[in-house]
Amino acid sequence: MLRRSLVAVTSMVMVAALAACGDDDGDGGDNGGEEGGGTIAIITVDPSNPYWKAEVDTAVAEAEALGYETTVNAHNNDPNQQNQFIDAAISSQVSAIILDPAGAQESVGAVRKATDAGIPVFLVNAEIDEQGIAKSQIISNNAQGATLGAEAWVEAMGGEGTFVELFGNPTDNNAQVRSDAYHAVISQYPDLVMLQRETANWDRQQGKEKMELLLRAHPDVDGVIAGNDEMALGAIQAIKEAGKMDDILVLGFDGNDEAAAAVAAGEMVATVLQPIVEGTTLAVQQADNYIRTGETGVPEEKQSINCVLITQENAGQLSGFRLAS
Amino acid sequence: MSNAVQSQASNGSWSKRINLNALLIEGRALIALAIIIVTFSIMTPNFLQPDNLLIMTRHVAMNAILALGMLLVILNGGIDLSVGSTVGLSGVIAGYLLRGYDLPLTELIAYPPVWVVVLIACAAGMLIGYVNGILVSRFRVAPFIATLGMLYVARGFALLITNGETFTDLFGRPELGNTGFVSTLAGRPLGIPMPVWVMAAVAAAFSLLLTRTPFGRWLYATGSNSRAAELSGVPVKKVQTRIYILSGVCAGIVGVLLTADLPAATPRAGEFYELNAIAAVVIGGATLSGGRGTVRGTLIGAFVIGFLVDGLVLIGVSVFWQQVIKGAVIILAVALDQAQQRLQRRRGTARAQGSTPAPGPTSPSRPRHGEPAAQGSTR
Repeated sequence: MLRRSLVAVTSMVMVAALAACGDDDGDGGDNGGEEGGGTIAIITVDPSNPYWKAEVDTAVAEAEALGYETTVNAHNNDPNQQNQFIDAAISSQVSAIILDPAGAQESVGAVRKATDAGIPVFLVNAEIDEQGIAKSQIISNNAQGATLGAEAWVEAMGGEGTFVELFGNPTDNNAQVRSDAYHAVISQYPDLVMLQRETANWDRQQGKEKMELLLRAHPDVDGVIAGNDEMALGAIQAIKEAGKMDDILVLGFDGNDEAAAAVAAGEMVATVLQPIVEGTTLAVQQADNYIRTGETGVPEEKQSINCVLITQENAGQLSGFRLAS
Repeated sequence: MSNAVQSQASNGSWSKRINLNALLIEGRALIALAIIIVTFSIMTPNFLQPDNLLIMTRHVAMNAILALGMLLVILNGGIDLSVGSTVGLSGVIAGYLLRGYDLPLTELIAYPPVWVVVLIACAAGMLIGYVNGILVSRFRVAPFIATLGMLYVARGFALLITNGETFTDLFGRPELGNTGFVSTLAGRPLGIPMPVWVMAAVAAAFSLLLTRTPFGRWLYATGSNSRAAELSGVPVKKVQTRIYILSGVCAGIVGVLLTADLPAATPRAGEFYELNAIAAVVIGGATLSGGRGTVRGTLIGAFVIGFLVDGLVLIGVSVFWQQVIKGAVIILAVALDQAQQRLQRRRGTARAQGSTPAPGPTSPSRPRHGEPAAQGSTR
């Protein structure tokens, strides 16, 4: 029976992957791969979050444009599941793996296993703790982005007031990196006082529920810093229901479409666009280079791409994690 | 054992004994709830403020509705792990229908009115529950396995429908006649949030169902000893199928309420909700082996968990400790429950040895239990 449920899971994932592929048929037309071909395995975190959905859609579109077939799997930040997907990719002899790793330390073994089996691994979005194993590590510069966001938020706050923080999943490295960068900026303003920090696990529902309680515990709070847009959007909903939208300034991170709309509407002070589309495109291109020539085409394994601040001025140009120029 | 079941069925003072037993079962959960309320109201003045109580009760209501459905399943000795995923699926279906969907074979887009949307979303929960019920009762798949499988299947369908996206355009448009989803379901008739009303309605309905109908008697009987109940003419399979349907409907309702509350339909909604629901049921005095548990106990259990979690946030306990404390309270509540159960049973046995061996209506020992040996192995 357990096996049956596993089969069910696997087939669901497969169907979901196929459905995801079906979305981007438009790009599949021009067959650019000279001697490329084969399959690229894309392993992401959680496609129900628009951020990772953009990552998957970009990777699939770019790979198909370059003449590859793709498989998509999601490990939900579970290193064990990630391991299974890596094993599956190895046994089906894919040409390359595009991986959004589940943890900096936990993923080293999985990447090494694939590399030892002769399959090049290209990391996007997050890094692993060791270099020289993966062919590329293309990461968004979270610290730089969070600094930008915090600066904009501090300016809107006028450098003073009280605030609460909604923290991401505590086991996710990025939650700490963003929080640290926020506080590095905020700590320069002694009149900005943090009242409480709660984790909402990157989740909108939890963000809303936590914010409802935080508004009760601290009725006079002036601001909210959130580790991602989903939590910020949940907080905004709670603030709206409490009728305090005019009094509380919210900061988000990621730059998804709804956050852009919230920024444009003045509900969110700012968010930070992670260059996930750019980074994923680069990763697939480097994978293609490596498959055809044995070189990624770039000197550095670790490449960090800077984030872009989204405020009311440029929020209207943001769509699908791309900033129209 | 069959003797005990029959004596129950023919027993006139049935409801009185339920009340006595219910009080005993709920004792510890009530004490826990009182301790939680007193402690938190001393630690923060915000805790007992009316609108904070309303917010917390709204949070509780979602879990309580799921827990009430779960109670029926647990009374039967089963378990329903799929409710969290069903919450996600029904919410997503509601969101999908509100956005309008393309009718197959035509160029038309259908915008069903809100009551149809709610009905279809709840019916989806019912369908999931029906499949669970058929798997368990007809195909004899263990409830844990059947609903575990359904946990993945329902979540998968939720992701398929949304293609991983989150639906946020749930307000409808006046010219399409599909407004009112959010304003009604996240509204506050008479100042009380909608989920709380729904919780009260479900609790009242299930309470009547369990104490006043043959179905309720059958359910307790099948949970105590399925074989004996079957021999006594209880339609065991029908009972089993129906409880999973009811649990699925509860999950469907929660999915709709949650979606309206956010307001957004995300395919990940409701993850791990099944575990909170199970915790509420067992804190409320039910046993996972079946046959014991009440609606009131389950409600109290849901309030214990909900008030505890929210109270810890209000007083600002570190998030890591919140988890530890929540887990410890669940274990403590159930451990205390078991200790008192043992004590009662010993007393009951002593009294039975002193007087007549038949389990009479005034006996303090619970007649719905299986033999002592069977209990030892299942708990």
